[in-house]
Amino acid sequence: MPLDARIDTVRAAPHTSDPGHDEFRRLEAGLDSLQAVPETPRGAFRRTVDGVLPPILLLVALVAAWQVYILIAKPRPDLIPGPFDVFGALASAWSSERLQLAVLTSLERGGLGFLIAVAIGTPIGLLLAECRPVRRTVGPLLSGLQVLPSVAWVPAAIIWFGLTDATVYFVILMGAVPSIANGLVSGVDQIPPQLRRVGTVLGASRFEMATLVVLPAALPGYFSGLKQGWAFAWRSLMAAEIITTGGTIGFGLGTMLNQSRELADLAGVLATILVILFVGILVELVFFAPIERRLLRRRGLMAAGLR
Amino acid sequence: MTSPARTSVVTAPVQTTEPAVAPGLAAITIESLGKRYGTGPLVLDDINLSIEAGQFVCLLGASGCGKSTLLNIIAGLEKPTEGAVTVASGKAAVMFQDAALFPWLTAGRNVELALKLRGVPRKQRAAAALELLDLVNLADAADKRPHELSGGMRQRVALARSLAQDRKVLLMDEPFAALDAITRDLLHEELERVWRQTGRTIVFVTHNVREAARLGERILLMSSRPGRIVNEWTITDTGSRRIESPEVARLGDEITGQLREEIRRNAA
Repeated sequence: MPLDARIDTVRAAPHTSDPGHDEFRRLEAGLDSLQAVPETPRGAFRRTVDGVLPPILLLVALVAAWQVYILIAKPRPDLIPGPFDVFGALASAWSSERLQLAVLTSLERGGLGFLIAVAIGTPIGLLLAECRPVRRTVGPLLSGLQVLPSVAWVPAAIIWFGLTDATVYFVILMGAVPSIANGLVSGVDQIPPQLRRVGTVLGASRFEMATLVVLPAALPGYFSGLKQGWAFAWRSLMAAEIITTGGTIGFGLGTMLNQSRELADLAGVLATILVILFVGILVELVFFAPIERRLLRRRGLMAAGLR
Repeated sequence: MTSPARTSVVTAPVQTTEPAVAPGLAAITIESLGKRYGTGPLVLDDINLSIEAGQFVCLLGASGCGKSTLLNIIAGLEKPTEGAVTVASGKAAVMFQDAALFPWLTAGRNVELALKLRGVPRKQRAAAALELLDLVNLADAADKRPHELSGGMRQRVALARSLAQDRKVLLMDEPFAALDAITRDLLHEELERVWRQTGRTIVFVTHNVREAARLGERILLMSSRPGRIVNEWTITDTGSRRIESPEVARLGDEITGQLREEIRRNAA
């Protein structure tokens, strides 16, 4: 026997010789297969088509409606530009390489700011979730900060840090950290108490309980906190870039938006708004959605229609 | 059998009685145990109980009679207000009504986690988990996740997980209450076989009279508010009982009569 002798549950003779037991095993196996949850897997291609096609169709329909409105109502092009004007503005920004520069600058700041926010928000969230006095003291403040629009910090940040990147990062952090910390707190709060009891019964130490039970159990809540944190980081970044221009602050999407406004270039403004929106959607689709789908499906938390 | 060092005693702040147990025989000893929450009414009152090693004991009572509280105290999850509980072999394994498997782990990994927390070396865990799952006829489902299993299968994984703890006492809190009748019937047979095969001491809490009459070697009936043990039955021939056996039905009728009497007393 390859096993440690301490495992005395299996020391008794196995059940191969007993015909009554074989019958029981077949009975039980039959019931198991009757009660098993049938999986209806869909191919990767089908899943992609189902996920990607409807939003693209909507997009095409919206642009078409917009173009039809322009053709029928013939509004002043400087007040309501058509889709082709906006597309033209986009193309010229691309050919002058302003677009690439702006997207890269903003994404780099947003990404780095988000990572710093994760590094700060996660320990705060853990402390809040597991330490009652801290929660009672800091919890309401953090919830309040989550409601406070982070743009409100821009004037203060400019006075403190001047027109530097530090201002931008500060505003991002004030937007994202509360969301991430609160996400982790609600993730921990939603852990079924039974799971902790099982951990206790199985003899987990405090550390084992935190790493083997609490953190994995809180992962879905934590992840939705991360998603919200990213959304807040991206919004705060745009706000900060629009308000703070000049100094050592580089050329981001918000800067580009503000420049187009100063030139009364509405097509350019709309084009930039679309780019900002598109980057947000892309990060969600490419980065967050696959991880979240995997996370939820592995736990059976995904509604059948979304598989 | 066990060294005194492994003995754990859960005591109230003030212990009034001396433990007086016949050594080697009693797996669980409970002495003048009382429990109340805060300043509320007494939940458990003066419970005295000695459970032999290897015995299958059913703890029966109406909802809210404190039987789960008693089980939690034996498990060490709650502290008694008065009296003492001694589990001779140290800690006990516990199984709940909800299988409470970790949803992010496969069935096999759930069992392996229990082995890991027990200190079984990594190399031996996978094989040991597979053998334990085979004991409950689930070796083929080792790679499935809890949500892919039926309720009965989940409870069997939970049983395998509690067996993985390798403790001599297994406490079960209405583990089959949420299952359909066919599955429950099969799991009774499964549990009985596992009990005989592993020689565990089992304390099985239930509010299902037939279940108690089907499984127990010894059945303890509890009254409600406060919870006291009011009667007990010992079944000598536990050989070939089935839920539909006439002797199970007869015993069930007798116990039901008493249980109803106990419940009626609460009407006034």
